[in-house]
This record gives sequence, structure tokens and C-alpha cells, in this order.
Amino acid sequence: MTNTEAAVAGANSPGPAPAPAPSGQDMPRAISVLVFLRDRGIFVLWGLLIAVFAFWCSPYFFKVDNALLIANAAALTALFAAGVGIGIMTGVLDLSLPGTAAVASCVCGWLLTHGHATWLGLAAGLAAGVVVGLVNGLITIRGFNPIIVTIGTLSVLSGLAAVIAGGYTFPGLNQLEFMGTHRYLAVGDSFSGIPAPVFIVAAVFVVGTVFLTRTRDGIRLMAVGGNAEAVRRAGIHADRYKVLGFVLSGLLASLGGLVSTAVVTEANPNASPQIIFNALTAVALAGVALTGGRGSLPRVLVGALILATISNGLTIRGIQPYWATVCTGALLLGSLLLERVLQTAVSERLMAANLSVHEKKV
Amino acid sequence: MSTPALELTGIEMHYGFVRALDGIDIHVQPGEVVGLLGDNGAGKSTLLKVMSGAHRPSQGTIRVRGEEQSFHAPSDAADAGIQMVYQDLSLVEPQDIATNLNLGQETLRRGPLGWLGFVDRKAMRRSSEKELDRLGVRTAPMTRPVEMLSGGQRQVVALARSAIRVNGESQGILLLDEPTAALGYEQTKNVESLIRRMADQGIAIVVVTHDLPLCFEVTDRLVILNRGKKVADLPTAGADRDHVVGWITGSRASMFETAGA
Repeated sequence: MTNTEAAVAGANSPGPAPAPAPSGQDMPRAISVLVFLRDRGIFVLWGLLIAVFAFWCSPYFFKVDNALLIANAAALTALFAAGVGIGIMTGVLDLSLPGTAAVASCVCGWLLTHGHATWLGLAAGLAAGVVVGLVNGLITIRGFNPIIVTIGTLSVLSGLAAVIAGGYTFPGLNQLEFMGTHRYLAVGDSFSGIPAPVFIVAAVFVVGTVFLTRTRDGIRLMAVGGNAEAVRRAGIHADRYKVLGFVLSGLLASLGGLVSTAVVTEANPNASPQIIFNALTAVALAGVALTGGRGSLPRVLVGALILATISNGLTIRGIQPYWATVCTGALLLGSLLLERVLQTAVSERLMAANLSVHEKKV
Repeated sequence: MSTPALELTGIEMHYGFVRALDGIDIHVQPGEVVGLLGDNGAGKSTLLKVMSGAHRPSQGTIRVRGEEQSFHAPSDAADAGIQMVYQDLSLVEPQDIATNLNLGQETLRRGPLGWLGFVDRKAMRRSSEKELDRLGVRTAPMTRPVEMLSGGQRQVVALARSAIRVNGESQGILLLDEPTAALGYEQTKNVESLIRRMADQGIAIVVVTHDLPLCFEVTDRLVILNRGKKVADLPTAGADRDHVVGWITGSRASMFETAGA
């Protein structure tokens, strides 16, 4: 039998010669532009908004002070959006964020009003977020729908927060002022400094972006969002990364809760659903597909900044704030439409340009 | 005859009262391509799942390079040097080619950054390019996301990923499930030549397919199943196409039919 096998192998081998390696410049320019618009369009959009407001709301809008105002206003949304965004990129939609934030801030508030150290309060608040994430994750990987699970935990958490607070709030948490309204890096009288939340957001997004794009665990986290089954088949414990996604999401939610507590120096057990909707709007504006595996944190940040920019610009013009939400909604719908158009154009052109193997030999 | 890369003897598989596999013997030599044929429900997929460790046979032994193995999970089979290419390819579409090829065995950077889990993307890109060049299938830059590749290119990436993995530990075994099901004529040809090249490098390959022309083009030996039994096992060269079809549909009696069996 071995003889025949050898003969057959000889007769069949080898196929066409290997194709020459392409230089990487095989993508037509039009496609590159479209792909750029699809992936970076939100930065362009933000630039346009700033340009429009700079003229329309001149001379108040295009000022350093106003930029800081916008950054500060966007900070809380950005923190929660980072939580929702990382969750969605990992393939899980975590709706329990407001509850997590409320519990974290109440745990911290309780500890601080009972005379414990500030660091202990903050650490306990963050730990609460991690625990919530673990619970969410461990339930979800048993095969339950993450949306239902996190709606359940949202309900549990908002109740728990009220229990901790005993139906009241924890006011007067002035110890937290250093991460709330305090401003750093002031230069004499000319520059009043940068508000603390802006630094926190910057740190979160830099660390988060580096983590998701440069480290093994971050890349696997994104891969789990893209195709969990493929990751599992590659010999990786995909479930652990799902839990990690929930934990990060919970951690960011608790951080958001602590920062908002610090800003108002009061821990409030009310889990406002507005938080999650603002965050989701920013994430959706950023073009993070709800199917998971796609998206990037810098885009989420710009999404949050766009929301703040619109409401700031309209406020300067003296337009009623309701119009800001109308604008944001319209923008979101418009961006959806644009993304669809761009995506279709890209795929059509890819087909037409014959980037398939028909000419190039696999 | 040298030791087979993969040898299964007396494999039986029962689902309740249904006998999905009935005393199957099959082996693959290093560098050999075996086509596994059969109609729907003949037991091809079940047999492939037994080989890949997804199912445990009710009876029978599995030997990898002469050593008896028992697989409890696909990862056991992977550790023994068996890689399966699924029909759905199992690629992470938003990620680029290099990431997909390295998923699960990423190269970390040297020094402190590596301890923190930072990956060395450049090294991964370079090694991916090298591996694809070796297989002669480099068509797109390593940084291109898989979702922007054509069906044929994706199939090639999936095949290459498994080939790279089994090549790491001496001569491995590749299991291919319908590798050309979604491809056009020319793409099929390219995948065929890739399969041949991988076999020439000493990889043992089992191909499950409905595509008879592919089988005759690329395989060295054909194994045909019908209702859970092996009905034919013959070299592809000289096999009669009508006979093969007869065995698949069951209109032709088994090669191994003995009185009373």
C-alpha cells in the first residue's frame, strides 16, 4: 500500500507555485478612504462640531476654560461609557452599571461617615464593583442571557444601596473633594487648573486602550467578543475572559459612582437609569457594534465628548437644554445610517476590486 | 509499513439505541491525505468528532503515532498534535490575520513589558508572514482584519492556523471538515494545492467532504462510510467514480462484506 501512496502523492503534488507575496498596497485608495471614514469618522464629526460651534457661539465657545468645562461635563459619562463599552466589546451588555455605581458610592459613604480612612472607603467601593462584576459574570457563563441577568442584579443592587443608606443619603463627604471638584496644575491667576475627574478619565482611557490593544489578555478579551467559540477552540478559557469583561465593567461603574459622589460630596443610593442611557448613547455614537468584538476606547471617549460638546454649545447659544437631547438622538440615528452606507460601499468596492483570490492566487 | 500518524481501531459510538459508528478502523500515515466520504448521516461528522476529542467513543482505541490515547476534550487531542479546521472556520472576524494565527499562543515581549502581558505584535506579524510564506499562501497584509478577506482567503487563514499549530510538535494531524463547501472553483483549486503542500510537509490529513472532484484531486486514499459502517477503503488512484458513488449511496455492497456480517 505504501508504494501506491507514494505514487499517488507524486502524481498529485504540488499544485501551482506559491503566489508572490503582495506588498500590502493592494487596497485601492477609495476603499482606504471609506475604511478611514468608517473607523475614524467620529473624530471627523467631533472636529466639525467644534468648528461649527466655534463660529456660531463665538467668542465664548473656543476657549480653554470652556474646553475644560466640556471635558469635566463629559467625564462621568465617559467613565460609565468605558464600562459599558468594554462590556459590549467583550460580548456582554451590562445594564447593572447604575446599581453598581450606587452601591459603590454608598459603601464608600457609609465607611467615610463611620470614621474610616478615605483610602479604605475608596478601595471598598471599587471592590464592591469587582464583586458585582464577578457575580454577574459567574451567573452569565452558566448560559443565561446577560441582559436579563444584569437587569436582575440592577434591581438587587439599587435595593441594597438603599438598605446601606437606610433610605437616606450620606452627605458632606468632603474628604473626597480631591477627586471631585478640586483643580490641579493651576498657573497663577491666568489658568485655574484642570478638574480632577478629567485626570481620572484620561488615566482610565490610556490604561484601558493600552490594555485592549497591546496586551495578551486585552486582545483575547476583544477576541472573545468577536467569536467566543473560536477562542474556546483555540484552547483558551473563553468563559474566564467573559467574567473579566464583567469585572472590568463593574470596576469602571464603581469608579464612576465614586467620582460622581466626590463631585457632589454626597453618596446617593438612587440608581439613575439615565446613567446607562447616556453611556449607551456615547458607545453607540462611537460605532461600537452591539454584537461585540469591535470598537475602541478612544472612540468611546469622543462619543462622550460629543454629547458634552453639543449640550455645551447649545447652552451657550441660550437654546433650551431639551434640544440637546433631540440633537444627540438625531446625530445617533444619522451616524447609524452613515455607517450602514459606508459599510455597504466598502464591501461593494472590495468585491468590485476583486480582492478575492480569483486573480491573486491564494 | 511505518507507524500511522493516527490510527483508530474498532470504534463504536452509540447514541441511545442508535449505532452511529459500528466497528470503524481507519488510519492515516504521515504525509497522507485521506478522504472521508459518506452520505448525510453516514457517521462522518461523528467519526471526525471522535478524532478531534469532542466525542468519546463507546468502544475502540485511538493511537497517535503508535501511542494509545484517550481524549476527554478537544484540548487533549490538540495536545497530542491533532488540529481540526471547522466548517465555520472559527476565525475572529474583527481581528487581523496575525492575531488570528497566533490566538492562544501569542508572543510576549521580552523584559518587564512581557511580564505585564504585553504582546510583541511585530514578532507575531513576522512569524505569521514566515509561516504563510512557507505554505505559499500569503495574499494579504498581516494587519488586515479577517472580515475584509474573501471566503477563499479566510479558508486559507483557517487552514494555515491549524497547519502552523500541528507543525510545532513534529508531524501533526489535520482534520478538515468540508474545507471547500463555501468556495468557488478557483478558490477550491487553491485550497486543494494548499492541502497537498501541507501533506508534502509530512502532515497527516483527513478530509471530510461531499465534493467528489476535490477528493479525487487531492486525496491519496478514500474511506467511505455508510450507516455507521466502513464500506470501502481504497487508494484514490484507480478508484472508479461510479463504484465510489455506489458505496456512498449504499447501492454497492461493502468491500468488507463477509458471510453473515
